[in-house]
Amino acid sequence: MCVWYNRPVPKQISLKEAAKLIPSWSSVFIGGFAHIRAGMSFSRELIRQGTHDLHFVSSGPTVHTDLLAGGNVVSRMEVAYGGIETIGPGPNIRRRVEQGDLLIEDYTNLSMTMRLYGGAIGVPFMPVKSILGSDIETKTTFRRKAEKLALVECPFTGELVCLVPSINPDFGVIQVQRVDTEGNVQIDDALTSDVDGLKASDVKIVLAEEIVSPTVTRRDPKKTAVPGLMVDYIVHAPWGAWPTAMYNFYDYDQEHIEYYADLCKTEEGWDEYKKEWVDIGEEALMKKIADRREKLKARKGLGY
Amino acid sequence: MKNKYTNQELMAICGARLIWDEAIVFAGTGLPVLASMLAQNTNAKNAKIVYEGGNIDTKNRDLPRSVSDPRLMHNAAAVLDVRATLGELLQGGYVDIGFIGGAQIDRFGNVNSTVIGNYRRPKIRLPGSGGANDIASLAKNTFIISLHEKRKFVKCDYITSPGHLKGGKSRAKFGLRGNGPKYIITDLCIFDFETRSKKARIKSLHPGVTKRMVLRAMRWRPIVPWKIPVTKAPTKEELRILREKVDPKGVYLKV
Repeated sequence: MCVWYNRPVPKQISLKEAAKLIPSWSSVFIGGFAHIRAGMSFSRELIRQGTHDLHFVSSGPTVHTDLLAGGNVVSRMEVAYGGIETIGPGPNIRRRVEQGDLLIEDYTNLSMTMRLYGGAIGVPFMPVKSILGSDIETKTTFRRKAEKLALVECPFTGELVCLVPSINPDFGVIQVQRVDTEGNVQIDDALTSDVDGLKASDVKIVLAEEIVSPTVTRRDPKKTAVPGLMVDYIVHAPWGAWPTAMYNFYDYDQEHIEYYADLCKTEEGWDEYKKEWVDIGEEALMKKIADRREKLKARKGLGY
Repeated sequence: MKNKYTNQELMAICGARLIWDEAIVFAGTGLPVLASMLAQNTNAKNAKIVYEGGNIDTKNRDLPRSVSDPRLMHNAAAVLDVRATLGELLQGGYVDIGFIGGAQIDRFGNVNSTVIGNYRRPKIRLPGSGGANDIASLAKNTFIISLHEKRKFVKCDYITSPGHLKGGKSRAKFGLRGNGPKYIITDLCIFDFETRSKKARIKSLHPGVTKRMVLRAMRWRPIVPWKIPVTKAPTKEELRILREKVDPKGVYLKV
């Protein structure tokens, strides 16, 4: 179930402290969908801290998921997607699964989102009309079929419906445009399923490009995607989604994503990438990509 | 004078022509985006495009590389979330056409994008469903778009996205809404599906392509009508719009 106590004001902590909150063996939702708002800095920090055997939960995860697979941070995933948009299967995810070191329980974007939404609204399951007839219904990896989903006849209409169990990850992390000191979250572009994932999690951590005063959010409350009273921790993490995009702040770095995907086709390539881009630390990384960041900065009015 | 065009351009144009005016289309990255945006500029000026991340009725000026791309914010009608797109629009019955692709496609239009080999210890692990299963299950019609290779047109090791399942009325038996796959568009031909059996059938052969070429590039045998029309070749105007308006930077067309 969701946590039932309210933290009056979220605590502002550093990226390192936020990553330290996640113990090995816990379940984590990290936001990021296709080429936007991936929790990249957070994922890099988890690798640095040697966190391992995490149970990863998400809907359409992206580059950060592949990074976590490479770094052996995750051992199990319940996701709808294990690839990188425009590339194909994530190279590290692919290698780890083929080696038997990573297990994926496959769902679909709709069903994973509904699982998280169900978790957020405190009900034990949600119905969907997809999955039926496919091998997503008939095959499982680490879950028993009865744990993964249930095929039922609707008690009202008699039609066949697939029920998916709600999920409440231990920790939920999203990377967004801005959050105020009270924890009110503003997302400037498509919410994707980030918000459902955060709201379903027991401990909610928000990483933002900028931390603003509540007057900014309260001036336009319609823009608030997650109310602050739900949020536990906030982190100031500019460029935290690089190399994915943050609308209104920076575009995605397609060149780097392709370089990463190409290099990580082999284990040696991954080790090289990790040494050069992860192990050096987040501050050093930001300095290293200072030129690229200038080019990626969003143009005002266009947002990318 | 014959126009010169690539396989990608041919497939995008074929896809665009099959989109009817006022259709609501769910686009995935790559060829589906090209086809949808081209259709909006040619035969389907009132078609509306939806992306799973949350961007609805988009009229972006720059080509997106991804289903969630900051470019899709520009001029969109509404920007919401996955529940609105996959839930309300797709499951709710608004989507006329959904595009999907995959690694393996069988004779009933079932598609595999999850594993080659055994599911628990695969030979090759692929991206997985993403929104493909949802689209294949719930869109009113699905268009499958793929290069025509022998290793692709095989029996599926794993069914990620349900097509006509076991043929005939099996979709309804399994509880699926929507009519399922309507066309498979490849770089050699276009398939449709026979009404009763739901087996794939060659609808038209692309210019310069023979029945033999098509059958040699697949492991299952489609229904082969005696007389098969030739797909209309890409016109100068279609190519111009595709190359100059839809993908001027050659992001997908790689000129």
